[in-house]
Amino acid sequence: MEESPLHPFELHELIPISLFGLDISINKAVILMWIVVGLAGTLLVVGGSARKMVPTKLQSLAELLVDFIRGIILDTMGKDGMKFFPLVATLFVFILFCNVLGLIPGSYTVTSQIIVTGVFAVSVYALSVALGFMLHGIKFLGILIPPGTPGWLLPLMIPIELVSQLARPVSLAVRLFANMTAGHTILGVLFGLAIGGGLLIGWLPFAFTIAMNALEVGIAFIQAYIFTVLSCVYLGDAVTLHGHGDAHAH
Amino acid sequence: MPPSNDPFYAGLGQAVRIGTELLASLVVGGGLGWAADTYLLDSGPWGLVIGLAVGAAAGIRNAMRAAQNWPK
Repeated sequence: MEESPLHPFELHELIPISLFGLDISINKAVILMWIVVGLAGTLLVVGGSARKMVPTKLQSLAELLVDFIRGIILDTMGKDGMKFFPLVATLFVFILFCNVLGLIPGSYTVTSQIIVTGVFAVSVYALSVALGFMLHGIKFLGILIPPGTPGWLLPLMIPIELVSQLARPVSLAVRLFANMTAGHTILGVLFGLAIGGGLLIGWLPFAFTIAMNALEVGIAFIQAYIFTVLSCVYLGDAVTLHGHGDAHAH
Repeated sequence: MPPSNDPFYAGLGQAVRIGTELLASLVVGGGLGWAADTYLLDSGPWGLVIGLAVGAAAGIRNAMRAAQNWPK
C-alpha cells in the first residue's frame, strides 16, 4: 500500500477563490460544513415547528437533542446557565453532526482539522474570560489563587494556575482534533491491511474495521459531549468565580 | 442516546480527558518558557526548564481536578 493512512486528511481546493489576497477557496471541509449546517438546521426547524402532542419521528429526535443539551447545562451551570443555551446548543449540534457525518465513507471529518477545533476552543475560552472580567472586574483574577493557599506559596501557585488556565483552550482543541484524527487513521490503516492482505487473511483486519467503526460512533458522541460539558464548565467558572467548578460537573 | 448514561463511554471520556489535560499543560508551560527564552530574556535554556516544570505541575493539578468527578 503506497497510500499513506493520513491521506484522507489532506484538503484540496475544489473552487479556488481569492478575496483581497485571502485564500477562501472552497474545499471538501467547507462543503461538509455546509451540509452539516443544512442538515442540523432542517432537523431542528422542521422537527421544532410541528409541536404535536404525539411527536412525529423528526420531532422526537429534535426534542431528545434539545432535552439532552438542557440536561448538560443544568448539570454544569444550574438554572442561570440557560441563557447560554443558544451558544451551547449550536456548539454541540455542530460538532456532533461533523463527527458523525465524518464517519460516512467518502465524506470528510471537519473536526479532524485543528484549525476548526482551535477556533471553537479559543472563542469559548475568550468568551469565558471576557465574561469573567465584565461580571467581576479585577476580582476575576482571584481564580488564579486556589482557596486556602498560604501566602508564602503564592509565587509558586500563581504561575501554575496561570498555565493550567491557559492550557484549557489547548486541551479542548487538541482533545477533539486528536480523537477524530486518530480514529480515522486507525480505520485507514486497517483498511489498508484488509486490501493488502487479500482474501486469505484480509477478512481479519476488515472485521476489526467494523468493530472500530462502532467504537468511533461512540467516540463521536463522547467527544461532542465532552467539548460541550467543558465549555459549560469554563463559562460557569467565569460566572460563579469558583475557578474550580469542575467538581460539580456530571 | 445520551452516552453519558453508559458507564463504558463515560469512563472512556474521562480517561481520554485526563491524558490530554496532562499533555496540554506541559505544552503550554514549555511553550511559554521557550518563548520567554527566545523573544524576551535571551536566558538560555532556563525559561524552558522552569516552564516545563511549571507546566508539569499545572498538568497534574488539571488531571487531579478532572479525576475528582470520576463517574461512580
